[in-house]
Amino acid sequence: MKLEIGNFQVKDVVFGDKTMFKNGILTINKEEAMDFIKEDEHIIDLDIVIAKPGENIRIVPVKEAVEPRIRPDERSVFPGITGDVEATGSGRVHALKGCSVLGVGMHYGSFGDGLIDMGGDGAKYTLFSELINICIVAHTDEEFERFEQQKKNRAIRWATHRFAEYLGNTVKSLEPEEIETFELDPITKRTEEINKFPSVVLVMQPQSQMEELGYNDLVYGWDMNKYVPSFMHPNEVLDGALISGSFMPASSKWSTYDFQNFPTIRELYEEHGKSINFLGVIMSNLNVSLEQKRRSAIFVAQMAKSLGADGAIVTEEGYGNPDADYILCIAALEEAGVKTVGISNECTGRDGASQPLVTLDEKANALVSTGNVSQLIELPPAEKVIGELQALARDGLSGGWAYDEILGPSVREDGSIIMENNAMFCGDRIAGWSTKTMKEF
Amino acid sequence: MKKAIHYINQFFAGIGGEEKADYKPEIREGLVGPAIALNSILEAEVTHTIICGDNFMGSNTDEAVNTILGFLEDKEFDIFVAGPAFQAGRYGVACGTICKAVKERFNVPAITSMNVENPGVEMFKKGIYIFEGGKSAAKMREDVKTMANFANKILKGEKTGPADEEGFFPRGIRAEMWLKSGKTAAERGVEMLVKKLNDQPFETELPIPKQDRVPIAPPIKDLSKANIAMVTTGGIVPVDNPDRIQSASATRWGRYDISKIDRLESGVYKTIHAGFDPAAADADPNIIMPIDAMKAYLKEGKIGKLHDYFYSTVGTGTTQAEAARMGKEMVGKLREDNVDGVIMTST
Repeated sequence: MKLEIGNFQVKDVVFGDKTMFKNGILTINKEEAMDFIKEDEHIIDLDIVIAKPGENIRIVPVKEAVEPRIRPDERSVFPGITGDVEATGSGRVHALKGCSVLGVGMHYGSFGDGLIDMGGDGAKYTLFSELINICIVAHTDEEFERFEQQKKNRAIRWATHRFAEYLGNTVKSLEPEEIETFELDPITKRTEEINKFPSVVLVMQPQSQMEELGYNDLVYGWDMNKYVPSFMHPNEVLDGALISGSFMPASSKWSTYDFQNFPTIRELYEEHGKSINFLGVIMSNLNVSLEQKRRSAIFVAQMAKSLGADGAIVTEEGYGNPDADYILCIAALEEAGVKTVGISNECTGRDGASQPLVTLDEKANALVSTGNVSQLIELPPAEKVIGELQALARDGLSGGWAYDEILGPSVREDGSIIMENNAMFCGDRIAGWSTKTMKEF
Repeated sequence: MKKAIHYINQFFAGIGGEEKADYKPEIREGLVGPAIALNSILEAEVTHTIICGDNFMGSNTDEAVNTILGFLEDKEFDIFVAGPAFQAGRYGVACGTICKAVKERFNVPAITSMNVENPGVEMFKKGIYIFEGGKSAAKMREDVKTMANFANKILKGEKTGPADEEGFFPRGIRAEMWLKSGKTAAERGVEMLVKKLNDQPFETELPIPKQDRVPIAPPIKDLSKANIAMVTTGGIVPVDNPDRIQSASATRWGRYDISKIDRLESGVYKTIHAGFDPAAADADPNIIMPIDAMKAYLKEGKIGKLHDYFYSTVGTGTTQAEAARMGKEMVGKLREDNVDGVIMTST
């Protein structure tokens, strides 16, 4: 399977008369764009705001991030979401690099939403401070969940995917500045030269723990709570087969942007034919009951074994309860003779003294740590807020609170904030971007 | 200039060896023994040296600690240093004991040094900075220097690094930090995997502690003839806590006679556990240590005998090593009375 991603580097994003991409400048006709997004009648109030790296801007509550893309051959970018269900992972897709479309609540946040600081000390926590963010700031008519801590955020999430594709249209018929090629031969048809390297699978555990549908990650538009582990091609992940859900605390989240650019997949591609033979992705899930967790671990270990994997990397979109799936899966692979490395974050508490993962197993002897979800972060006021700052304190974001007898509320009168890393949007960069680790102090 | 106070034992103070190990705590103005070396490197003045015999600290711990805390009450100091204790077990435990007490009372950083084999490491590494030191006094200069360098960072308000960079034993505190190398998790993960695949050494970023699993005992065949004992980590004790079991990070345990009572009355027993809201347990201690139910089973003949004592300690913050030691001590007593089975209640 061969995927070509044609890249267009976005140097600036501005509003103007015509929506187009020229000389690195993405121009957006705001009125037309607003009309397009408002085609969804559930969006009842809307603004589009641009936030650039280094600006003294705080964005919250952020629900989703998507890289703008388009397919020259008319297939939808996110099958099952923005168009018909069709295969992804091969052919050509065009991408606007260096920018993302953010879905931001105009007023209300929810448990899995996060915060992004574009400048100052807070910028170091999230990758999205390094991108030009085209923020859809929206209010919706989803009254049933208005004051719920858990929100599906369907209208805003779908708006980001649709709008990302809309903006991608600007480069549909242009010639990319650079084409990245992702290609793997079928497993049984590989050359001797490749086959001499140890075979490796990537096991991904996307968030799928909400029994009620609508909150989980989707694969080809299918809610992953109703899914058992399958073998997937890494190109499918990079090419829009998966979109992010609306449940996991923000710092442990994989946004759709993460799926589209998944650094661990890219790194495995990088080493393919140099030090490993990258077989592909075992797309697993995260579960609620122990029986479900065990079942998935069995599926994964069996597939890895049958595929002839010598090694595996397991990575989870989450922390806490999902650690049980993560550790069970690593242990099952090790028991099947597959040498395994795990990539995830930890939860050692605000004082750093808690057990780092919910379950531990000595077989998990090769782990990469990307951060501590409960790290306290204190930041000064920002000049401008996109969204509504109070959402961090008021709406039950996983890293915010309305009241704490010692720390006070997350959002202070002067606009300064105190929060847990939990609410930093994709703050632990578990997809593989993280340059953070955890150390004993 | 900032100020420091140094704790050493009778031996390093030049008072004497084993025969002087009962030496009572003393505070002297100025520098004695290793304090001279410390003072020469530390960017603070070592104003006093405290001397105490290792046996005195070991056998009269409360008196020794209280006397020393009393010495310090009117002193100004920014940092407290003890040792280095090398492999000397009693000295190491003494350094740990006093550092912990001083840190808790005066909230100043407390630093000591000992060899990895010193039992004081396992007992005290959680609460204080213990630097990895040499086996014997031959390493005195180096060990003092290591402590002083770290102390200087603290005194200057500099950011201190993780345990492996600084050289102290991990305190059980894990925190995030940005890697100077800028290497991403993806790069680190794949690199680690390639090393693991090629049987090359690699270093996990999250070491999983070795689990010391105890196999589950075979079932008791006839409960109606069995002698059953009750043990808890829920901190249920007589209200005056006669064994002075700590409310957290316990190192002590007690056993209490229940042969003549049918239940644990509120006001007679209570919990001293600091890890949960005690209201319910204080109102009815049997909800944690169900003597009432066990006595009822005894009357019904469901169990043959209820061991005359219940055993209690506190589980919160207690190290695995301390818990294992206390457990072994309890087992000794239970064996003496031919106990067949134990019900362990937690919280």
